[in-house]
Amino acid sequence: MKKIHLSLIFLTVFSLVVSSCNKDLEEPLREAYIPAKLDEKGGTWKTYILANANEVAVAEPKAVNSTEYQDEIKKLKNTVATITPENKKAVSYWGAGAVYRWNEIARELAARYNLPPASNAEGKYPVPDAANPLADPKFPFANPPYTARALAYLSVAQYDALVAAWNYKYKYNRKAPSKNDASVSALLPVSDLPSYPSEDAVVAAASYTILVAMFPGEVPLLDAKLAEAKNARIWGGMNVDSDISAGDALGKAVAAKVMNRAKADGMGAANNQALTTGMIANAKSMGLKSEWLSQEIPARPPMLPNYGAVQPWNFDKATMIAMRPGPPPSLDSDEFKKALDELKEIDKKQTREQARIANYWSDGAGSYTPPGHWHREAANLCFQNKFSELATARTLALLGTAEMDAGIACWDVKTYYYYPRPQQFGVKTSVGLPNFQSYTSGHSTFSGAAAAVLGSIFPSEAERLKERANEASMSRVYGLIHYSFDCQVGLAHGKKIGEYAIARGKADGSGL
Amino acid sequence: MKLLYKLILVLVGGVCMNTYAQMPHDAIYMNKNSICIAATYANSQWSEYWENNLKRENFNIGTHTTQSVMPMIAYGITKKLNVLAGLPYVSTKTSAGNLMGQKGLQDLSVWVKYNMVQTDNGLSLHGVLGGSVPVSNYVKDFLPMSIGIGAKTATARLVAHYKHKSGFYITAHGSYIFRSNITVDRDAYQADDRVYNTNEVRIPNATDVAARAGYYKKGIQAELFIDKNTCVGGDYIRRNDMPFPTNNMKATGVGFYGKFQPKNIGFNVMARKVIDGQNMGQSTTFSVGFLYQINFKTKSAVTSKN
Repeated sequence: MKKIHLSLIFLTVFSLVVSSCNKDLEEPLREAYIPAKLDEKGGTWKTYILANANEVAVAEPKAVNSTEYQDEIKKLKNTVATITPENKKAVSYWGAGAVYRWNEIARELAARYNLPPASNAEGKYPVPDAANPLADPKFPFANPPYTARALAYLSVAQYDALVAAWNYKYKYNRKAPSKNDASVSALLPVSDLPSYPSEDAVVAAASYTILVAMFPGEVPLLDAKLAEAKNARIWGGMNVDSDISAGDALGKAVAAKVMNRAKADGMGAANNQALTTGMIANAKSMGLKSEWLSQEIPARPPMLPNYGAVQPWNFDKATMIAMRPGPPPSLDSDEFKKALDELKEIDKKQTREQARIANYWSDGAGSYTPPGHWHREAANLCFQNKFSELATARTLALLGTAEMDAGIACWDVKTYYYYPRPQQFGVKTSVGLPNFQSYTSGHSTFSGAAAAVLGSIFPSEAERLKERANEASMSRVYGLIHYSFDCQVGLAHGKKIGEYAIARGKADGSGL
Repeated sequence: MKLLYKLILVLVGGVCMNTYAQMPHDAIYMNKNSICIAATYANSQWSEYWENNLKRENFNIGTHTTQSVMPMIAYGITKKLNVLAGLPYVSTKTSAGNLMGQKGLQDLSVWVKYNMVQTDNGLSLHGVLGGSVPVSNYVKDFLPMSIGIGAKTATARLVAHYKHKSGFYITAHGSYIFRSNITVDRDAYQADDRVYNTNEVRIPNATDVAARAGYYKKGIQAELFIDKNTCVGGDYIRRNDMPFPTNNMKATGVGFYGKFQPKNIGFNVMARKVIDGQNMGQSTTFSVGFLYQINFKTKSAVTSKN
């Protein structure tokens, strides 16, 4: 008897321990809001690719008292009355904001595709093939330059399409279904923003078009997201069909124009490995004693050595070269020795806090990269500040273009000086070693630019953002993959790059 | 690569526990008020691992080595109820590449073993409860270099044992290992083919089963075993990606365990090789332990002597 009692006690104790633990993960909830400002004049804001907000025509909608519109309202009410709990979940998910969610989806795809190709039996690294995206290695390898560019085009397409949408919204001034007919029960808060064309459909279609081009292996997923994003507006009683179809057509047309720039921006030649011999010779002619060498086995060609030649957004090539940072310390200088000694010291006794900072900002393989990290920060700030879809897209476009500019300018610096990594001098790493040149730090350049741009849009956050950028920059020293001068120079360079996006934002007519 | 985890299973879950004078998976008990202290050194290496199901090498890791030193203590509350505890110091390194080795105190584990059923013909049934908690704030997701994955665990195990008068025995056990979620330094990570925007990471629970056959008499023990450690769910290492604590790690191992403890002082040795697995390294582990048993003179001990 006693034995059975003891066994029961054992089991009870175990069950208590196990049942007291909840393994569900808590992620931030995002509830829909009425924007703090509707940005009524948004149709006049300066676009990136469109010549003006009328470039893509959107037909005048049927009047609200027309039979056609009344039929649409009737159909809408029927749909809302019969939605499933799954539909409701989708309404709530997309209610966080179209730009917000599509940016999140893009970051997720970036993380999914941010894996370097494995070497094959011949000791070579096959290049991902856009025509065969799901083969091994998958296309794309969504590394930081690739992701910076994908997010830039995504945000620019969303922004230009929304400027056009805002133009037509206030031109035609069709109110939301629930404002035209009080018996339509909307599941989300309804603002006074005109509903034709639907801003959610505009963003969905524009985002879809860009992301299908950037992540061609994800068409089935993106098809499903596009359909759900549009349907959710119907399920939630927020838009009638004609709002959605007009938005869908506008979004696709604008994004197609944006893709024309992408196809011609030089990315196709970014992986031109034939140029590296000349790059090394040039760096040596300027006094470099020993050049960057891949530390991987077998040696991996450097990541996108000609990315520095891709077309920037907020300044031209000449400007970029004019603000290119000066050379790094000579490898036999005291300054270099001091910087290397600092790393050797961390190599010997990295503190837990240094490791934490290095890990927090590592944003390496399998992550959405530093540009993704800053896009997340920006999307959350827009959400917290109840920005309209248009103001959110503007923020992310300013950030996205600055991040892509930062990537281009930083890669130009990296391949111009072709400076060796600390690992070529016997230092280990706690975050993994990126396979490209050391000077300057990409993290620092991305973060300096991002903190500058976001600090100008959210002045009350400027100090905190600057501290975060400093921490992101230093994280590369703590992780032992950059000398401190790589980081300091990169951070200052990034800030300068960000200033060009800030200047554009000040002059775009938004008054923001 | 998941070496790590294997390590944990090895150290906490069963295999490595081979180092107790008695172990949480055997049918050996100490007398009331006896104490056994032990110190075990273990060395585990792999140069190939399973990336999901793909067996591969990694030139940027070469051979991965995990070493541990684990002091342990076992105490007989009664002859049928024993408690055991251990705390390893673990270090990792690679022979190639530039990943920084990690080292530190890992997880404190405590086990309670109870002889539930004992028949006269040599059959017995034992219930074991165990728990472990990390004792230091080591980095949990720098796999395969991390010294552990940092989950708190609770284990329930049933051990069935048959021993013949001659000293030959067979033992089988099955366990369920509950593992808590962990928090990592980053605030977003990729797992289950999606991005989680949180620093909390869900760790799959695990099971382990083993079968052993051997001989144990007069301070000499020798056995062969096969064991299998399996996560309950979890995701997999993607093509050319690093491992992550959420991975569904599996390993089947075979090995030998031997102990020689004629009196108070003794030692044990263990060798184990992973023969099949998923999402972790194909490791070969050797351990050697030093044992010292203290028998307090108690009424029951005196009685049993007489």
